Amino acid sequence: MSSSVALPATSAAPLRPLLWTCAAFAGGVLLHADRVPPWAAGIALLLIAWRLLNAHRPGGDPGIAARAVLALVLVAIVLVRFHTLNGLAAGTTLLLLMAGLKLLETHAPRDQFVMVAAGLFLLLAACLDRQELARAPLYGLQAWLCCATLAVVAAPTTSARVALALAGRALLLAVPLALLLFVFFPRLPGAFWAIPSTDLALSGLSDTMTPGSIGLLATSYDPAFRVQFLGPTPPPQERYWRGPVMHEFDGQSWRATASELRTRAPRDTLGTAYRYRVQLEASHQRWWFALDTPLQPPDARALLTYDDQIVGAEPVNDPVSFEAVSYTHTRFREPLDTAATRQDTALPRSGNPRTRALAESLRARAGSDAALVRAALDYLRTGGFVYSLEPERLGSDAVDDFLFRTHVGFCGHYASAFVVLMRGAGVPARVVTGYLGGEWIPFGGYFLVRQADAHAWAEVWLAGRGWTRVDPTAVVAPERLQRGILDLLPQELRGRERLLHASPWLMEWLQRWDAANAWWTNHVVRFDYEAQLDVLARLGISSPDARYLGWAFMLALCGWLALIAWHVGRSIRPERKDALARSYARLCRKLARIAPRAPHQGPLEFAAALIARRPDVQAAVLPLLRRYAELRYGPPSAHTAREQDIRAFRQAVARLSLPRAAPAPR
Amino acid sequence: MRRRQGMDHLPVTLERRRLYILPTRAGVAFTALLFLMLLAGLNYANSLALFLTFLLTGFALVVMQQCHRNLLGLEVVAEIAPAVFARSTGALQLTLGNRGAAPRMRLEAALAKGALRTADLPAHLEQRVELPVPAPVRGVVRIERVRLSTAHPFGLFRAWTWVHTEVAMLVYPQPHGRLPMPADSVRTAGVRSHSGAGADEWVGLRPFRDGDSPRQVDWKAYAREAPLLVKEYVQGASELRLFEFAQLAHLDEEARLSQLARWVVDAEAHGERYGLVLPGVRLAPDRGPEHRHRCLAALALYGGGVA
Repeated sequence: MSSSVALPATSAAPLRPLLWTCAAFAGGVLLHADRVPPWAAGIALLLIAWRLLNAHRPGGDPGIAARAVLALVLVAIVLVRFHTLNGLAAGTTLLLLMAGLKLLETHAPRDQFVMVAAGLFLLLAACLDRQELARAPLYGLQAWLCCATLAVVAAPTTSARVALALAGRALLLAVPLALLLFVFFPRLPGAFWAIPSTDLALSGLSDTMTPGSIGLLATSYDPAFRVQFLGPTPPPQERYWRGPVMHEFDGQSWRATASELRTRAPRDTLGTAYRYRVQLEASHQRWWFALDTPLQPPDARALLTYDDQIVGAEPVNDPVSFEAVSYTHTRFREPLDTAATRQDTALPRSGNPRTRALAESLRARAGSDAALVRAALDYLRTGGFVYSLEPERLGSDAVDDFLFRTHVGFCGHYASAFVVLMRGAGVPARVVTGYLGGEWIPFGGYFLVRQADAHAWAEVWLAGRGWTRVDPTAVVAPERLQRGILDLLPQELRGRERLLHASPWLMEWLQRWDAANAWWTNHVVRFDYEAQLDVLARLGISSPDARYLGWAFMLALCGWLALIAWHVGRSIRPERKDALARSYARLCRKLARIAPRAPHQGPLEFAAALIARRPDVQAAVLPLLRRYAELRYGPPSAHTAREQDIRAFRQAVARLSLPRAAPAPR
Repeated sequence: MRRRQGMDHLPVTLERRRLYILPTRAGVAFTALLFLMLLAGLNYANSLALFLTFLLTGFALVVMQQCHRNLLGLEVVAEIAPAVFARSTGALQLTLGNRGAAPRMRLEAALAKGALRTADLPAHLEQRVELPVPAPVRGVVRIERVRLSTAHPFGLFRAWTWVHTEVAMLVYPQPHGRLPMPADSVRTAGVRSHSGAGADEWVGLRPFRDGDSPRQVDWKAYAREAPLLVKEYVQGASELRLFEFAQLAHLDEEARLSQLARWVVDAEAHGERYGLVLPGVRLAPDRGPEHRHRCLAALALYGGGVA
């Protein structure tokens, strides 16, 4: 091709910057590989591969028309798939595709710079998307890669080692300033523009429950939330963490009804008050999990419903922490009102006939509601029921099938069957989902509640006491109260979890890792406006005066800049005199006894002058001065050899002792 | 032109007060990128995004220091511009010295209007950079200032300075013309003469000097392991040439000068002795590079150079 002949430099030289820009962009793509649609990541990686394969063919670019059509098609696909170009997911996908297209026309340093900027923007999007501790090193690597690419784009001959060293050094020097800004840069209490709601998968419990649904969570080691008690710790059998409360039953599944307007019934508290702080992981749901019965909503961001759920005003899309006070025993002062009674005794018109019959027979035999509860629990205890994570599938009359045929179930089955029995006997009852227990993490001093701790239990209304917690699972598998599901049913574990469970050592490291994660979430990810005010208050700045802070900040910035200037500038200051010159000066001082060196004399001239004055010192002086002339003016030698030579010269000068002058002739 | 520091006397070490630094276009774009990242981080109240923004801000500031440092303390050891013939390209030979312990990479040197040359300067070393200087006509090209700059290491900032030194590049007239060299003009020139027309007279031996013709070397003596000696003759009158401006009255002024330059160059190449007579200038016959330069310089500067 004629163009490649005419411009040999353009085809060979930019290969290195091209490789680096491709790497920086690919790094950005990989950060999103599991989040964007697979086809988008695939197209981006294909474009990178295509560009690299065509690197040697300058004429191989698709024309401007082809690129424009491709761009329009890709934008259209994103629009169709996401119904918007706004929002993090759609925006990231679009950025990925458009930057990939830009790569096709990347030749000049300017284009390469744009690709580095795209890599940095993808990194930013990744930061906005996920903030886990485990991903932080990846983000650091991507920042490093992008900065090193900048060095290569600026100077295409830069080697990989040099580029990485340059970027790494500059980034390390930048860390102190980044920390300073991170703590002191004013945050916003709100947002500039509305953040589009995320369309992410929900995790954890939901507002419906089929008996098997909780079993799906049971093998997940993911953390749900962490709890730190700020006083007495409840015993294990009291550690029920309330989540969605289910009132409606359709014969198969339970549903939480949204009727938050109902007022909370007045009640007396019994027993200990537990104060604690909860740090919720992002669940993209609105429930804030609190110990059994909280009496106050923790703060303005959440409501406390009549059935004691704490519901956030916003879904928990980012980790949230709150403080609350709970009781595990309460007594209601007033009887249940009729609307609530109707709601919590309702059953579908038909279905589960045998269960209804059982409920009526239990009702007939029991003297009181409390006796009825005991009778139902006895039935479950003695009926040959088995606690298992993998029960059989149930038929259309799910409760009948479970109580009279399979006898194998998980907490959801027991809670569901028990509540149906109670309602069948006319006793108000409801299913409560949430978590039970928690793992003590000694390194962080908190309880870690995992998704695997998800649980379902029942609450029945007993006259004179009000809503009372009854856990039917506890009569079938009493150990469940003391130990986690995973301890209870190790045969249910698979893969990673089984391995972790088998090794106490791994388990300990897992706990440490969780403590590190908790710290990260608490102190880094959730370092917001309030946290900043907190830190400032702890530093003694109680009312952050903007001007005062500004001055302090400018002072710190100047200090850092001075330090950097000093550090960066250290290597440029010439040494006062090099080692060779110092040795030569010493030699001249020694020889000054015979004759001082005149400023215009070079070493050889000086030698001649000395020998003329004192012929007897020729053997001592001439080789030294000759050696100096060689070292100073001779051909350059390898760096290490030169160092050695100079050291040898210095020692020879130190050893030189001049013979005493011969008596002057008269 | 503003000259804050006045004229420079070489060697010059670049100090802080004469260095300027500004972001490059890439640097401005990078700043815009940082601003967008800051907005996004603040809006989402996202700690990681903010930390990333602050880290890159610090990075840019460190890069600024490194760029400045790459030029700070650089030594301009020498600037020379050897004489060249007209209608060719000369060069400003710039010797840069690095007395620091770290290399200085990608230093750019350029004249006010001219191509840019890049050089890497290892620690403790000096290096010469040649900047092309066009020499279209005879006379003197004055080079008043040299721009030294660098965008190393990341191309986000460029630091620069101007070094003001007066370097004059002499431009000889272009040797041109086909007229034969004037012969036998010795007597009119009044230079010492020797009897015996046509034949050279042997006067002795002298050490070899650059530019001596190999034909004059005493090879027999050299074969006897004597130093390289040259047989010296007093040349015959026909070999002693005097080039006179007045002889070429039929040509215009520049053509005369070109013709004289041609003769000077040829005569020197043939190892002949020659003299030059211009109105107001008289150079006695001699030879050797210095004499050649004197003659050509006189031609270059004739009449104060080309207007």
